Amino acid sequence: MTDRRLRVAVAALSTIGAGITAYLTYAHVTGSTLACATGGCEIVQRSKYSELAGIPVAALGLAGYVVLGATAAFRTDLVRAAGAAFALAGFAFGGYLIYVQIALIDAFCQWCLTSDGVLALLVPLTILRLRRTV
Amino acid sequence: MVAVVAGAAVLLGGGLIAALVLTTRGSTGSHSTAPVGMAQVAAMLRNVPQNGAVLGSPKAPVTLVEFADPQCPYCGDWERTSLPTIVDKYVRPGKVRIVFNGMSFVGPDSTTALRTALAAGQQDRFWNVIALLYLNQGTENTGWVTDSLLRGIGDAIPGLDTNRMLASMNSPAVTRQLDAAAAFAQKAGVDRTPTFAVGKTDKALTLVQVSSLEPSGLEPALDAALSE
Repeated sequence: MTDRRLRVAVAALSTIGAGITAYLTYAHVTGSTLACATGGCEIVQRSKYSELAGIPVAALGLAGYVVLGATAAFRTDLVRAAGAAFALAGFAFGGYLIYVQIALIDAFCQWCLTSDGVLALLVPLTILRLRRTV
Repeated sequence: MVAVVAGAAVLLGGGLIAALVLTTRGSTGSHSTAPVGMAQVAAMLRNVPQNGAVLGSPKAPVTLVEFADPQCPYCGDWERTSLPTIVDKYVRPGKVRIVFNGMSFVGPDSTTALRTALAAGQQDRFWNVIALLYLNQGTENTGWVTDSLLRGIGDAIPGLDTNRMLASMNSPAVTRQLDAAAAFAQKAGVDRTPTFAVGKTDKALTLVQVSSLEPSGLEPALDAALSE
C-alpha cells in the first residue's frame, strides 16, 4: 500500500473516530440521551471514569483523533512517528477503558467499543506509514 | 524510529491510564468492591424522581410503604423480582410513590446498611443504594456490609458523592430518621418483613396481607387504592 493510500485511510478512520467522540462529548456535556443498542452507554457516560481531571474522556479522544487526522496531511518522519505514537497510546487507553467497562462499571457503551475498533485499525496503518516514504 | 514511537506511545497511553486510575481512586480514597447489578438498578430507577427514602412523584395519588430490613432474604427477593415491575407499572407513570421504612431487627449489618442508604438519601440516591444492597445481599449477620462494599456501591452510583455519604451515615439527622422509621413500624404493628401498607397519599394507610411476593401479590391493593 502506498503512503498516499495509507494517509487517506488514516484520515478517513480519524474522521469516523472524531465523529463518534464528538457525539459522546456533546452527550456528556449536555447530559443528553445517547442512541444506544447495548443499554449501557449512559451508565458508562455518567460513571466517574468518564472524566479525567474534569475533562470528558470522550473529549480527549476527540482531540486524539484530530491530531491523528492531521498527521495524515504530512509526510515528515516526525509527524508519521507522532501518528503511530498517538494511535498506539489511544489503543492502549481504549483497552484500559474496555477493562473498566467489564470489571468496574458492568456496562458497555457501543460507541466506545466502536472507537476502540477504529483505533485497532489505525495502529497498523500508522505503523505501516513509518516504513513508507513514497 | 520504532523505539521512539513505542516510547512516546507508552508515555502517552500509560500517562492517560495512570491519570485516570489516580483521579478515580482519589475520589474515594480507599479500596472498594464493585457491586453487581449496576445496570439493572440504573434501568429500574431511570427517570423516576427520588426524595430521601421516597421513590416516585410527590403528586402520586397512592402511597405504598415498604417495611423492610436490608438483611431479610424475603425483602431481597421482593426487591429483586417484584420491585422493578411495580416501578414500571405504577411508580414511573406517577400513580404510586413508595416510601421505604427501614427496619434493623436482624442485626448490626442491617443498621449499617440502612444508615448508608439514608445518608445517600440526603443526595436523593437512597433507592440506588438500597437496591444495590439487596442485589449484593450476603448471609445474615456475617459482616457482609463492609466498608469496601459500601464504597463500591457509592462509586457505582452516578451523581453520588461517596465520601459525603459515608461521612454522614452516623450523623444525628440519619439517627433521627432511623428512630422515626422504627417508631412508625411499631405504631403500625409491623412484626415481620417485608410488610406493606397502602393508601391514598396523605391519608390513613392500611396494612396489606400479600398473597405472594410476586408483583401480583401487591397489585390488587394498589389497583383498589387507585380506583377509590
